[in-house]
Amino acid sequence: MSIANVRLLAGLLALPSILFQRNFLAVIIQCLYVIVVAVSYSRRFKLLPNLILLFSVSLAHLLQPNGLLLFSIGKFPITLGALTLGAHKAFTLISLLYLSHYMVTARPKFPGLLGQLISLQFYFFEQIREVWQSIKVKRPLIGAIDEMLLKISLESAKVAEHSSPRASPKELLFNAFHVVALWTLFFLGYYSILPILN
Amino acid sequence: MTPIRVGDIIIFLLAVALIIGSFSFYSTISGKPEVRVKSGAGESIYDLSVDTQATFKGPVGETTIEIRGGQVHVSESDCRNKVCISAGWISSPGEWIICLPNNVFVRIEGSLEEGSPDDTSF
Amino acid sequence: MTPRSKPRIEFVALLAACALFLSTIEYLIPKPLPFMRLGLANLPLIIALGLLSWKEYLLLALLKVLGQALISGTIFSYIFLFSLAGTTASILIMLLLYNVLKKRVSLIGISIAGAMASNIAQLLLSRYLLFGEAAKLVAPPFLIVGLVTSIILGVFAQQFIAKSRWYKGVQ
Repeated sequence: MSIANVRLLAGLLALPSILFQRNFLAVIIQCLYVIVVAVSYSRRFKLLPNLILLFSVSLAHLLQPNGLLLFSIGKFPITLGALTLGAHKAFTLISLLYLSHYMVTARPKFPGLLGQLISLQFYFFEQIREVWQSIKVKRPLIGAIDEMLLKISLESAKVAEHSSPRASPKELLFNAFHVVALWTLFFLGYYSILPILN
Repeated sequence: MTPIRVGDIIIFLLAVALIIGSFSFYSTISGKPEVRVKSGAGESIYDLSVDTQATFKGPVGETTIEIRGGQVHVSESDCRNKVCISAGWISSPGEWIICLPNNVFVRIEGSLEEGSPDDTSF
Repeated sequence: MTPRSKPRIEFVALLAACALFLSTIEYLIPKPLPFMRLGLANLPLIIALGLLSWKEYLLLALLKVLGQALISGTIFSYIFLFSLAGTTASILIMLLLYNVLKKRVSLIGISIAGAMASNIAQLLLSRYLLFGEAAKLVAPPFLIVGLVTSIILGVFAQQFIAKSRWYKGVQ
């Protein structure tokens, strides 16, 4: 099996363990785990967008009071359960996001005609980027876009073949480990072996 | 030559109507009835329209409330006489259930039906 | 000219690549709120209405969604669902209006309708996946931003098809 397919498969196998996680602490650990894996395969991690997501989703859930009243702002209650519910959803989303990042690190290919079309799309994408950078005068905008589109010839389209190398035993082992680790966290949460925070 | 046509104006007006309509959500979200539970741990608040269960610890054990279909009742309690369970379901603002031995007090707050001036001016 | 089918499919791929390029540009533009979008990548979809058959058009939309998801790495997360739902809703309404109303509507109206459909689909999804009840609160600002940006995109698309030499060549 190619590296691309191994990572794809590992990601798909691990996905339900995050999606169906009910334990708040466990999902946080899963999230950190997936981020570390994605980053170790040279995916970039930016803290701020994730923090904004975490805060906004948690804040949104405060509208529906749920659980212990921590304090009130005016008449507006800040409840623990609502905060953790929102944060849980945000952590799930972030986990899936970085799992997905990891799954495409080895550039998987779609099979058949659709796969060819996507390759073609990326070929033109590179062309557009190159031609657009070569155009000096970008005003008026429509003129510049015209110039770019007219320069790109449909006939010259060639799809660069790239094939993902076969996965080494080490690669297989690492991927299997990630899947087992994420499912272990799922069961630690499922049987409430990890403490329930809310 | 103007590109704007009849269809554009109609679609634009429909979109504006949709936006104005969407603002009405703001009034539905405030003043919803809430379930407030006082127990040893402090005060907890739940939305009466969201089905859920919650358990509270008290001096004699655990008391569990259940919210389902816009009603709330005490489903389980470790107290001896189970008065709180036999009180059954409550659903209107002002109604309450109390479990004295376990120090759990459940009441419904908020007034959707009456529409008191308090709700509109938050 | 050689048989139509092959260059046609390359033409669809080119338009899809334009959408991809525009979404990378959109990514570079700073936005005050994380969920706010301009929808630049929808421009090729609006312009392509007059260029493609409905089958080619659906293919373009599919390539746009998949390409974006692959380049951003979101394809296997449910961010992808938001993009898929929004694009599906908007292309269906845009195809319908373009073919039913024909001369009675310009790309401006079509762009507005597409953006509204996309926003509603995404709000419904966020109601279940992300925000809960608060989706109702974010609805008005979302729809207002959608209306404003879609008018700008529509005006631009209208200008483009009127002035572009490329568009006349491929029409």
